[in-house]
Amino acid sequence: MNKKGVVIGVIVVAIIAGLAASYSSSPSETVNLDMGRTHGTISTAMGSPILGDTSAPLTIVEFGDYQCEQCYAWFHETKPAIVRDYIDTGKANLVFVDLAFLGRDSIPASMATYCAEDQGMYWEYHDLLYNSQESVDNGWANSERLKAFAFSLDLDMELFESCLDSEKYSKRVQYNIRQARENGVRGTPGFFIVGPDGQEKIGGAQPFSVFKQILDSMI
Amino acid sequence: MVQTIKLVYSNFKYVVLASTIFVSMMIGLLILSEYIFLEPYVVAHLPSGSELGFLLIVLLSALSALVIPMNIFRISVLKSSKQKMGGGIFGSIIGTAAGACSCGPVGFAVISTFGSVGATATAFLTNYEIPIRIIAIAILIITYFTTVKSLKVECKLNP
Repeated sequence: MNKKGVVIGVIVVAIIAGLAASYSSSPSETVNLDMGRTHGTISTAMGSPILGDTSAPLTIVEFGDYQCEQCYAWFHETKPAIVRDYIDTGKANLVFVDLAFLGRDSIPASMATYCAEDQGMYWEYHDLLYNSQESVDNGWANSERLKAFAFSLDLDMELFESCLDSEKYSKRVQYNIRQARENGVRGTPGFFIVGPDGQEKIGGAQPFSVFKQILDSMI
Repeated sequence: MVQTIKLVYSNFKYVVLASTIFVSMMIGLLILSEYIFLEPYVVAHLPSGSELGFLLIVLLSALSALVIPMNIFRISVLKSSKQKMGGGIFGSIIGTAAGACSCGPVGFAVISTFGSVGATATAFLTNYEIPIRIIAIAILIITYFTTVKSLKVECKLNP
């Protein structure tokens, strides 16, 4: 009887601990563990975790490069209004898929975001890269700087360095680049708004008004 | 200087040519530099911090529209050599290339086709877009003054 009680107790404690752990992480971030995840015609299985409510009716799929200045412009000019009006309100969520093509530091920067994801900090690292962007390949996203960004986010440096140096996520980034090409993305940033009735493509760092018009028409 | 401009642009054909160059070059550059989008809706957008880039595109288009017809006039009407035409065309091309190669479709196509060489060229044109456009404008200004000078000599205009 006592043994049975102990086993049940352990199971209950484990369930409570699991629930507590899941609620203690950022409510707007989920780690991507769904290997069959697709949005419209795009396989986002290897993309970022979903930003926002996973059950939102619309998904914005962004194809981007961390060294692209137009992506930087969209990140600062348009994205805040989309987050405010659509993601924070549960009307849409967002997935970032890498189209790292601009320079030699583009792919390592993308790989680094997934190393940060291993420690539950994908979006924090993603935002830090876009806030720190400088000229293409001028060294702002070289290996040392990528590690310095991780350090500034208080990540476990041993884990992060081992992940980045071993190019753990090289194939994941290559898969995402293939997805971009297969879906006809010919530059960054490129977007697909995916809803229950289909998907719309938006090319370039277009203003919020364009996104609003499409998102409202698809809700 | 005014006499030279009057001489060239008194012919309506050159006014039409200048207007065509200005409009097509400006709209083309604004599309390439993503100030104008055609899909899914036609929309113009000037992000904050990109005002200088926009101003340089307008200047580049205006100078190209001024200089290229003047050089065509020299060649076709005065049967002059084509040597000085090069400055106007060169200035226009490098000014255009500076804006075209970024993370948009042109840059993507260049990198996809030419690999690391294309990436290096694209990175250079992207990083130095503003200085390259300023150099292109300087080339067009120099070409303008040399064209005016040679037209004065060739047409025996009073200084």
